[in-house]
Amino acid sequence: MTQTPADTRQGLQFFGRISASVSHEIKNVFAVINEAAGLIEDFTLMAERGMPIDPERLKKAANSIQGQIRRGDGIVKNMNAFAHSTDEDVREIDLVDTLSLTVALTTRLADMKQVSLSMGECPPVSLRANAFDLMQLLHSFIAAALENLTAGDSLVMSVKPLEGGASFSLSVPGKDAPVVLETMLSFPSQAICANMELNESAGTCELRLSASQP
Amino acid sequence: MSEKVLLIDDEVEFLEALSERMELRGMDVVTAENAQKAVAALDSGEYDAIVLDLQMPDMNGIDMLKIIKESHPEMQVILLTGKATLEAGVKAMKLGAMDFMEKPADIDSLTEKIKKAQAKKMVIVEKETAKKVDDILRSKGW
Repeated sequence: MTQTPADTRQGLQFFGRISASVSHEIKNVFAVINEAAGLIEDFTLMAERGMPIDPERLKKAANSIQGQIRRGDGIVKNMNAFAHSTDEDVREIDLVDTLSLTVALTTRLADMKQVSLSMGECPPVSLRANAFDLMQLLHSFIAAALENLTAGDSLVMSVKPLEGGASFSLSVPGKDAPVVLETMLSFPSQAICANMELNESAGTCELRLSASQP
Repeated sequence: MSEKVLLIDDEVEFLEALSERMELRGMDVVTAENAQKAVAALDSGEYDAIVLDLQMPDMNGIDMLKIIKESHPEMQVILLTGKATLEAGVKAMKLGAMDFMEKPADIDSLTEKIKKAQAKKMVIVEKETAKKVDDILRSKGW
């Protein structure tokens, strides 16, 4: 399928949204490290003036730095994997990994709406597709569902094989299937040959990908 | 005189470390990790300055700034954020924020801004007190 300038613009906007969210998270990580390291420096200056240092307080600050470095490393790994999703036009994709990465990159958006976003049960499934377009589609699928959820809700995302293709499903435990407006999915669903269906009996909103992708 | 500061940010580890550093510098710090706690803290105490995160899950900093300025117009607010855009900064200043800082912030610059906030608030409070005294003197026939 040939991409139009509008499609390219939408793809760039998606890349920009994710990059902005990731950079904001990294800034927060740096801010905590900055304060924890500053606290250690403060304690050292106090010790130079003869005030005793509480080893537990030093240990807590050091642990905070180590924890934030782990957090930052996870964020950067996800950003790196996301950036590499543009390497090839079409390739065999591990859909569970791709969904997991999309969920991780969309968690901040869910956090801002005070909705907990998690992965449900996902059997192994793979498909030949464009990884970047698929992530754009999954991100817009989750973002559209978040629009109609309220603070305190939990959104669970799963994927399973279906007739040679795959089915991604969204559910809100204890509630009806989440409402997702198809218009909010726009370009990616057309580029990737997907259709959306409401499965009321299962309480899920499903995004089905056919086996033959363009 | 120690500066009384309300520190609002959803990053708990950030709140803990920064408040401890501010206390080591002689400040009296109250913390709030969400908008609800911030509003409660705001109602229960007088502050020389509020240091406010621009992006929080339950309310963004601009909306919180509006709430603060509506109930306490004299309050000096310093916005602290990981997403420092010129647009957000200009909007915050128009809404009455005293200053705007990008994370990670330098503690010396922040301390300086808090001292300025305290001085600015003292001037406002002194002016208000003088006006009140003047009004009383005018209304009474002494």
